Amino acid sequence: MRRMGVSALLALSLAGGAAAHRLDEYLQATLIGVTRDGVEVEIHLTPGVATLPVLMAVIDQDRDGRISPEEERAYVGRVAREVELRVDGVRAPLSVIESNFPTVEAMREGLGTIGIRLRTARSGHELRFENRHLPQVSAYLVNCLAAPSDGLVVSRQQRDEAQRSIEFEYSFGAGAAAGPPAAWIALGSFWPAAIGMLLVARMAVLIYRAKHDKRAVHPL
Amino acid sequence: MLRTILLESRKIGFLAAVLCCGLAPAQTSLSVASRIVASANAFLSSLDEGQRSKVLFEFNDAAQRMKWSNLPTTMVPRAGLKMGDLSGPQRSAAMGLLAATLSKRGYEKVLAIVEGDEVLRVAGGGRGSMFGRDLFYISILGKPSVKDPWMLQFGGHHLALNITMAGPDGILTPSLTAAQPAKYTVDGKTVRPLGAENDKAFALINALDEGQRKQAILNYKVADLVLGPGQDGKTIQPEGIKCSAMNASQQAMLLELVGEWAGIINEQAAAARMAEIKANLSGTWFAWSGPTTNGMPAYYRIQGPALVIEYAPQPLGGDPTMHIHTIYRDPTNDYGKKSLGH
Repeated sequence: MRRMGVSALLALSLAGGAAAHRLDEYLQATLIGVTRDGVEVEIHLTPGVATLPVLMAVIDQDRDGRISPEEERAYVGRVAREVELRVDGVRAPLSVIESNFPTVEAMREGLGTIGIRLRTARSGHELRFENRHLPQVSAYLVNCLAAPSDGLVVSRQQRDEAQRSIEFEYSFGAGAAAGPPAAWIALGSFWPAAIGMLLVARMAVLIYRAKHDKRAVHPL
Repeated sequence: MLRTILLESRKIGFLAAVLCCGLAPAQTSLSVASRIVASANAFLSSLDEGQRSKVLFEFNDAAQRMKWSNLPTTMVPRAGLKMGDLSGPQRSAAMGLLAATLSKRGYEKVLAIVEGDEVLRVAGGGRGSMFGRDLFYISILGKPSVKDPWMLQFGGHHLALNITMAGPDGILTPSLTAAQPAKYTVDGKTVRPLGAENDKAFALINALDEGQRKQAILNYKVADLVLGPGQDGKTIQPEGIKCSAMNASQQAMLLELVGEWAGIINEQAAAARMAEIKANLSGTWFAWSGPTTNGMPAYYRIQGPALVIEYAPQPLGGDPTMHIHTIYRDPTNDYGKKSLGH
């Protein structure tokens, strides 16, 4: 449940709108969600207008100016190989959960964002993440998501100057098992509907019992 | 010019409130919420049926609620009514609603951001059509009410105001303010839409002693907002110096700085919000990345249990000090979720 909370949050953000309009940098923004049973890594990649030719040379293998599904998969695989996650000093294999690509036209404007979500089931107490993807043209952000409702405690955060890498220690104290904070809007109509259904069900039981009792008193 | 627009809009908002409530000016003792609702109704009644259907959304319309960005509206389309599609009186009524909802300084800040985009349009040549004061949108989620929750959205390039009204509460989070150019001249007067956010932050970082600065200043560059558009519901691990390690004068400076965002909304709502932020001050952090000399580009973040503020200079345009993005969030109450009991 707790892991699903973080997953839902990261999934929501992959669908989120583009936030930047960049020029000469490839912005690679990473958020790391730590749960009791694994680690999720969400990477938002936003090429600046001037860096798009470099990126297209990497992605667009057949040079047709478009990005095919095969080229998308190949690129996501490359990114997954060029980032490294270590949990308690041991390399943790990352599998791709989800990815999405903007149109090439959006990227030409410097506002298209590629989203990639990776996960490992490895859990521990020390984490190190490093991004080695296209360092010549990139600017990096890397942060660990807070999860106070899960009792997550993070300490000794350290990054290199360019934010290509982060390491920290983490543990879980006693925390309330709250749902994902962003889910409240979607659930806004759930409880009234659920209560309404329960009331209808209760009414149906009462009506059935009333009829049944009547029959018992006045058998045919 | 800004001043004229401001005065006109506030006057219209006030008159709308008076007319809608059927009260003479001398008798008005309208609550802030009822004044805002009256301005909203005055704006809605200035529209025709087609326009009303465009501007009104269900309160629970999650897609519309989250449809905001720092990007130009030609790149990330917004829904609602476009300012450029409104008649003069309709536009004045829209701005009157905004003026009634915000504080005087908040409204002035918004106008300065909008006018900055107009400057960008004029200077923009072929790309100027992406910018300008006509390309800002207004939308209303729910029915304006002093009792039931509703929401006002106003935004476009470099601006996203998401204001949830829940009875007497006015919640401004999440909202984005930004500026490009961050400094321009109108009628010989220099305008800096986010000038106070810059100057007060530099004053604060320079008011810290060496040991405090060592805690506050991050050893890495921050290229952009971390919790900008599309990052609803997230919080990150706080860093920097904790306010409990600041003296009373430094804490007061931090609160002054926070007030540049919290004080955008009307004074009554801003006072409640500032009281909450003050109560959480010991658990609030201040982090800085970049040089500490005013005039240089520097990123900062203020993060507390119910607060995230980020200020991030942007390289696009050449001079990062001329292109600023900021975000203002309350992870416990974005879109009024706490006030609505969620």
